[in-house]
Amino acid sequence: MNRQDLKTIIYAEKAKVENNKYKHKIGVCCGAGCISSGSEEVLKKLQEEVTTRGLDHDVEIIPTGCMGPCNQGPLMKYLPDHTIYQKVDCSNIAAIVQSQIIDKKPIEHLLLFADTREKPFRDAREDPFFKSQLKIVLRNCGQLNPERIEDFLVHDGYQALDKTLCEMSPEDVIAEIKHSRLRGRGGAGYPTGLKWETVYKYVNDQKYVICNGDEGDPGAFMDRSVLEGNPHRVLEGMAIAGYAIGATKGYAYIRGEYPLAIKRFETAIKQARKMGLLGTDILGSNFSFDVEVRIGAGAFVCGEETALIASIEGKRGTPRPRPPFPAEFGLWGKPTLINNVETFASISPIIINGGEWYSEIGTPKSAGTKVFALAGKINYSGLIEVPMGTSLREIVFDIGGGMQGGGEFKAAQTGGPSGGCIPAGHLDVKMDYEALTNLGSIMGSGGLIIMDQTSDMVDVARFFMEFCMDESCGKCLPCRVGTKMMCDLLQKICDNRATQIDLDRLEELAIYVKETSLCGLGGSAPNPLLSTLRHFRNEYQNRLIRHEQKDQIEVPSNIQV
Amino acid sequence: MNKLTIYIDDKQFQAEPGKSILEVCREHDIEILTMCHLKGVNDVGACRLCLVEIEGMSKLLSACTTKITANMVIHTKTERIKKYQRITTELFFAERNHVCAVCVANGTCELQDLGYKVGMDHIRYPFLFPKCEVDTSHPWYVMDQNRCIMCTRCVRVCNEVEGAHNWDVKNRGYQVRIISDFDTPWGESITCTSCGKCLQACPTGALWPKAIVQGQMKKNPEIIDELMERRKMIL
Amino acid sequence: MNRKKIATVWLGGCSGCHMSLLDIDELILEVAKLADIVKSPIVDCKELPDVDIALIEGSVTSDEHMNELLHIRKHAKVLVALGDCAVMTNVTGMRNYFPLKEVFDAAYVDAVSNDSEGSVPGHPALLHLNDKVVPLPEVVDVDFVIPGCPPGADAIFYVLSEFLNDRIPDLNETKKLRYG
Repeated sequence: MNRQDLKTIIYAEKAKVENNKYKHKIGVCCGAGCISSGSEEVLKKLQEEVTTRGLDHDVEIIPTGCMGPCNQGPLMKYLPDHTIYQKVDCSNIAAIVQSQIIDKKPIEHLLLFADTREKPFRDAREDPFFKSQLKIVLRNCGQLNPERIEDFLVHDGYQALDKTLCEMSPEDVIAEIKHSRLRGRGGAGYPTGLKWETVYKYVNDQKYVICNGDEGDPGAFMDRSVLEGNPHRVLEGMAIAGYAIGATKGYAYIRGEYPLAIKRFETAIKQARKMGLLGTDILGSNFSFDVEVRIGAGAFVCGEETALIASIEGKRGTPRPRPPFPAEFGLWGKPTLINNVETFASISPIIINGGEWYSEIGTPKSAGTKVFALAGKINYSGLIEVPMGTSLREIVFDIGGGMQGGGEFKAAQTGGPSGGCIPAGHLDVKMDYEALTNLGSIMGSGGLIIMDQTSDMVDVARFFMEFCMDESCGKCLPCRVGTKMMCDLLQKICDNRATQIDLDRLEELAIYVKETSLCGLGGSAPNPLLSTLRHFRNEYQNRLIRHEQKDQIEVPSNIQV
Repeated sequence: MNKLTIYIDDKQFQAEPGKSILEVCREHDIEILTMCHLKGVNDVGACRLCLVEIEGMSKLLSACTTKITANMVIHTKTERIKKYQRITTELFFAERNHVCAVCVANGTCELQDLGYKVGMDHIRYPFLFPKCEVDTSHPWYVMDQNRCIMCTRCVRVCNEVEGAHNWDVKNRGYQVRIISDFDTPWGESITCTSCGKCLQACPTGALWPKAIVQGQMKKNPEIIDELMERRKMIL
Repeated sequence: MNRKKIATVWLGGCSGCHMSLLDIDELILEVAKLADIVKSPIVDCKELPDVDIALIEGSVTSDEHMNELLHIRKHAKVLVALGDCAVMTNVTGMRNYFPLKEVFDAAYVDAVSNDSEGSVPGHPALLHLNDKVVPLPEVVDVDFVIPGCPPGADAIFYVLSEFLNDRIPDLNETKKLRYG
């Protein structure tokens, strides 16, 4: 397929939409969250209902990707008006169809947030949950059918790839990405343009692009939702990256726990190949690129780039010391670009709208938007996307709808097991890479867990330490033994058996493991501990056996030496 | 070839590019403690004992896997590094049970020597006492997991030098164990050639021949490098 | 100058460290110039008075050891863990791999013996073994450790003479560090 063919297809598809034979469109969220709360049955029931009423020719039903407010699922959206129904179950579908399609007025008490807001919004976009968000990565998530490439094409799909191949040189692409000031969304925040340029500069007959979809943080589901909701966007980003750095082969490493994401991504690859958007001489250019999926086998450490590469090579998934970095010596020893799912999903809007546009969003040092998986003791949790620099207060109280049951905000945990916590005193922190680092936490991949006064911070630290201990690959000593020792010491504190000496030793170990571990897993494993110690040291102190108490241990008088 | 100028512990040295920091230090008798490093096989940087401070780098890097670059300024004996070496040593001892008194390698053990070098008089961390197997199924050799420090020198020697790949690693975290073939008894291995190089490579008393008793083990890990050098001469 | 008082105590160990102590041979006369050994397995004294230096062999294996050690800590100015068992459990700690019952059964019930009615002794006057053996530093603050199985006589004498002359010994500097 050449460029003209693509245009023809898009025109034809757009025409189909414009002259739509359907009067109504209903989206049912088929993201993993809603599926687990029963959206597949809802979808089936809705189809039956529409058929029974003989509305097949008027109503189009679209299984969409994630819509956002996941804890209100299953979600159903009347697309033309952006009216969202929450907690839909098979029993109220008939009523919704009757009211929304036939009577043309929504059922107020079934609308999104109807049970918690005084007056729910008929157009969900007006709701503060959505109003405070800016969706770039998630823009078409929850609107299009992720299993149809045509849906994506209608929403400017593959336009960025087309523009790249026909109008831009690899240097232009890299310059544009650099100009956008996009930073890696996997957690570390390394400037994406710089990374691309580094790989571009290494001369080699073969280079690789790898998409890191081994999202393993407890409570994080950003990459999952993007892969499930809009897989073509990621694919397009990878192809653009391939063109920019001179790679002809890409791998998407997706964790095995995401079967739906794997299925949809593989479907997307097949469709793109069929349309000639992957393969040889894409869109009439002389650029060839293909992507394969590699499935992770459940190791958290395989999210670390060198371990991920080892895993793709078919070896035991353990990291190796850097340098050399994958940009120089990566997959099978070739220069390799590894970016996160969300990073790749940010590429095509940047190409289409320009780096300038993107760089104006967010804060001076962290441009663009960030997707967060918002969870914990707040009213509305789910998948959100906000500009960098949005304050934590806005996220918790505007988007999240405040604390559950009127509880008191205590802390927010960011970055999962590699991150730290932000205490109530810093609610107004502008969320970007630097601000979070200054608070002793990290942006991380985007897990955001809100805790109230009932959360025990020592237990939080112990939980994450146990996670890291289980997930340590066992290659380097500090991480292998250090995490186990720290976990035991934290358990000792939780059980009120520890003394000040134990706490001092724990702190010393934490810094030791952080500084000496081979890879990022061990290097960041002590973060939740160090961060809770920094902000909530009294909770640790209160658990210790005081020295006076230790001396009071009575020696029975009958035992004299 | 143009030599590079580097600085180690405030002294200037000339060294060929492509060499690791460890190689240069060893050439000039600058002591770097190591455990997983074995001359003759590839380095993995797993024991973290050879960490050095490099000016301009926030992270500590392992000397065995880091190649020198021009004008690199390296510090090998800072207080921070000494402190970490001591902790590393203690964790090695605490991880499994290294009861020197009943060990074949008592007196000729690299781990023991390491303890003396870092001045470890006691271990501040509780022993983990993991359940470890002793595999005596091989007719001549014994594998005692209790003494193993997971340096994987045996794995690499078996794979890279002998080409048999009898040894590998199973599990993860603190539950990692060295396994023979697919975690079957060593005596039943279909890949092991009984060459005995792993015994020489092992720094502790984890691998030893049945023919000796406590404190008699003499190891010659340097034969691995000698073998590799001689092979180069033949090729 | 005040004569110092020394105590040596034998907890869960094999007495090898005390043998090593005896191996200082005639140097005991040097010690005797500066101190009295007031409590030791080789001294007939039932109670532990306040002492300046307590050398303790063996690890903590029972309730009796535990109480004894806590008592010593209160009465000794300097508490020295003597030998690998006291410092890091060593051979005595090898039973930590097994549940206590298995250990007892192996020793009393399943042991090869003329007496086919082996049973675990349970007289109330006997001490009770703890589930796990722990080294001294896990129970009390230890001021100095002499590792070794057993520690060399010269190391023991060196430490004693340093303390008796009010100096802090350093095994590392003098290359007297040894395990096993």
